[in-house]
Amino acid sequence: MTRLGVFWLGAALAGAVLGLVWTAPALAAPEGKVVIAQGVDPTTLDPQWHEETPAYNVLLNIYDTLLFRDKDLRIIPWLAESWKLVTPTTWEFKLRKGVKFHNGEELDADAVKFSMDRLRDPKLGNRQAGNFRLVASVDVVDKFTVRIITSKPFPTMENQLALRGAVMAPKHFAGKDKTFADRNPVGTGPYKFVRWAKDDQLVLEANEQWWGGAPKVKTIVYRPIPEHAVRVAALQGGEVDIAVNIPPHLVPIIDKHPKLYISKAPSVRTLFIPIYTSQFDTANKLVGPVDGPTKDKRVRQAIIAAANPDEIIKTVLEGQAIRTATPLTSKHFGFDRTLAPVKQDPDRVKKLLTEAGFPNGIDLTLNSPDGRYLKDKEVAEAVGGQLTRAGIRTRVRTFEWTTYLNQMVYIHKATPMYLIGWGNTTWDADGTLTPLFRSGNPLANHHNPDFDGMMDEAQTTVDPKRRQEIYARAQRLMLDDGAVLPLYQQMDLYGVNKRVTFQALSSEQIIGAWLSLKDGK
Amino acid sequence: MNAYLVRRLLQSILVLFGVSVVVFLILYLTGDPALLLLPPDATAEDIAKFRESMGFNDPVAVQYLRFLKGAVRGNFGESLRHGEPAMALVVERLPATFELAGAGLALALSLAIPAGIVSAVRRNTAIDYVSTVVALLGQAMPTFWLGIMLILVFSVRLGWLPSSGRGDLEHLVLPAITLGLFTTARITRLTRSGMLEVLGQDYIRTARAKGVGEPPVVWKHALRNASIPIVTIVGIELGTLLGGSVITETIFAWPGVGRLSVQAIFNRDYPVVQAAVFLLASTFVVVNFLVDIVYTYLDPRIRFH
Repeated sequence: MTRLGVFWLGAALAGAVLGLVWTAPALAAPEGKVVIAQGVDPTTLDPQWHEETPAYNVLLNIYDTLLFRDKDLRIIPWLAESWKLVTPTTWEFKLRKGVKFHNGEELDADAVKFSMDRLRDPKLGNRQAGNFRLVASVDVVDKFTVRIITSKPFPTMENQLALRGAVMAPKHFAGKDKTFADRNPVGTGPYKFVRWAKDDQLVLEANEQWWGGAPKVKTIVYRPIPEHAVRVAALQGGEVDIAVNIPPHLVPIIDKHPKLYISKAPSVRTLFIPIYTSQFDTANKLVGPVDGPTKDKRVRQAIIAAANPDEIIKTVLEGQAIRTATPLTSKHFGFDRTLAPVKQDPDRVKKLLTEAGFPNGIDLTLNSPDGRYLKDKEVAEAVGGQLTRAGIRTRVRTFEWTTYLNQMVYIHKATPMYLIGWGNTTWDADGTLTPLFRSGNPLANHHNPDFDGMMDEAQTTVDPKRRQEIYARAQRLMLDDGAVLPLYQQMDLYGVNKRVTFQALSSEQIIGAWLSLKDGK
Repeated sequence: MNAYLVRRLLQSILVLFGVSVVVFLILYLTGDPALLLLPPDATAEDIAKFRESMGFNDPVAVQYLRFLKGAVRGNFGESLRHGEPAMALVVERLPATFELAGAGLALALSLAIPAGIVSAVRRNTAIDYVSTVVALLGQAMPTFWLGIMLILVFSVRLGWLPSSGRGDLEHLVLPAITLGLFTTARITRLTRSGMLEVLGQDYIRTARAKGVGEPPVVWKHALRNASIPIVTIVGIELGTLLGGSVITETIFAWPGVGRLSVQAIFNRDYPVVQAAVFLLASTFVVVNFLVDIVYTYLDPRIRFH
């Protein structure tokens, strides 16, 4: 045997051994415990009732959905192995076979139908039901094939099913009320429910029979800790392993700590300042152009040119944000990559204001919530300062969140501009542009028939290329209208103990099956 | 005596009735929960439908009567946010709140009464000054600041105690100190001044003159007579402890009624706020009713007034 031959044999043997070693972790039984500190507890464990990140972070581990999103937010097969659009209003899903619920029931087309019908049951008043209002019926084709029929083309069906529509064990839940579903979750997911002491701790245990392979971490404990400083203290003391929503000013403490690290991802949430172009009444009917100087497009464009979000990111947010050119993030379908953020330009501000008949500047109000978003009030004050320096003398008014929504934003009284954050987890432009800028919606204060037409067309167009074109045009139109001053996309910051391998996701989700422990314990 | 207690009982019921009116009306004025509970992209039609189904469209008086009818049966409706019976959510968290308030009160009494007595008996000595300064500090420190400082020192720096959560006795230490310190300070001050007043009375001089030893004078003659204001303040302080638990529970992630109420207020979750306030107010009223009974033993004259 030649030297080379020996080498190859050796390499092959080593490869075989390595192969064994390498596959070993996947076969190993789950081990150890990870404690996750969120700011609040889930309000419920009924996976169809809620619309909130803290509950998703628990329930995405107990329940599987038909589709899912990978770490790059691409839609991937999950309980559905494959799917296709049969007609523009008929979606067909082929289910994974051999999947069992935690109580032993088998996953089949009937279970999917049961779950989708339960979700849409008007008597239950599920918060997710509105996302499926176009669904007309759910039909079982055969044991592992199910069709969802919609009343109109529904281009964001996949986006919805990659988050919502958790598949629930039909026999377990049949005839039971919501209170039962709240406390007795049974799904097909990688983790099984163990116990929940509300506002104290919630315990999950690995489902070793999970169709995706046994998870690596045996136990996940969720603890709600409302105070940022205390969440960080618990992290420092080793009481928790992952803490969500670390404010930028506490980042250095974690960075310097020998046992901790920061994991971050650009958030799904963007912050921006819609500017009223039109006035609507409380029934969302158009009254006419808005009262005051912002009815002039040049004034709105001047506002946009007067702001400098980059400076705000650097100072107020300590660099923990990314500037956005529109209210969409770059990961949202429909985002136009060729759009660049508007540059601050004091000369242009002056010129636009003079043209609009305000050579001596104007006085405006900027409304903002206080305490809803990270440093919201400080950001609003900084924007106000920048505008004032450019000749748009801005008074900042801040409000408690619920008051802000109920008595200002929702009834078209936050004139002439207001700060808001928007976390569109459908990851499709429709979920941001329609509610905020298409006339007739409670949050929209912008009226442009061309824009409205584009929104309506995109909503019932299933061809992704065509939709992309429409949204690209719509964003340019909306920005040219001066309907919004885009600010930034916040960074989601997590403090993590070095014993845990964790990567922050832009979806704000913590997926138990993707966690592992360095020392296996 | 019976007439006295019956009168106090009727007063207590009247107070609870007043609480129910106030709680109902204040919450009604703060905003529309329909908008907060539905997803932000809900259509106007969804909102109208939801309002109708929750009965938010009925006249205020009708809503109040519906509320009261349920309240007397312990039914405060379903939590708007949790979708479960509101009373059950509150009752579930009561043990944690009582545990914390009880620990805070026990801590306060065990420190404050001896400290107050010693300060009074050893008036204007070093021990009196120290106790006065500590009591003033205890009253001046904001709860949230004290809580965070205790966590930074005892959990983060020294690693002796857990920073948050409920569990063993060690979980109780920091929140109980945080919650109880203000009450400790108040009771100390009150015990001291009460004892000072009593110790200057003629009957104390008489007792001493007839040769009664100092310990019986302090414990039997003075303390019992000084105890009426102390018992009163304990009853009132229980309200402070239950109410103060809102901040303490939030800082220490303690799973009690206070934290639930704060979340419910932010979410305009009327039924939960109403159930929580009603239950805490009832506890407070019951305790003060018991305090009134205790009075009659401490001072028999009260029974005949």
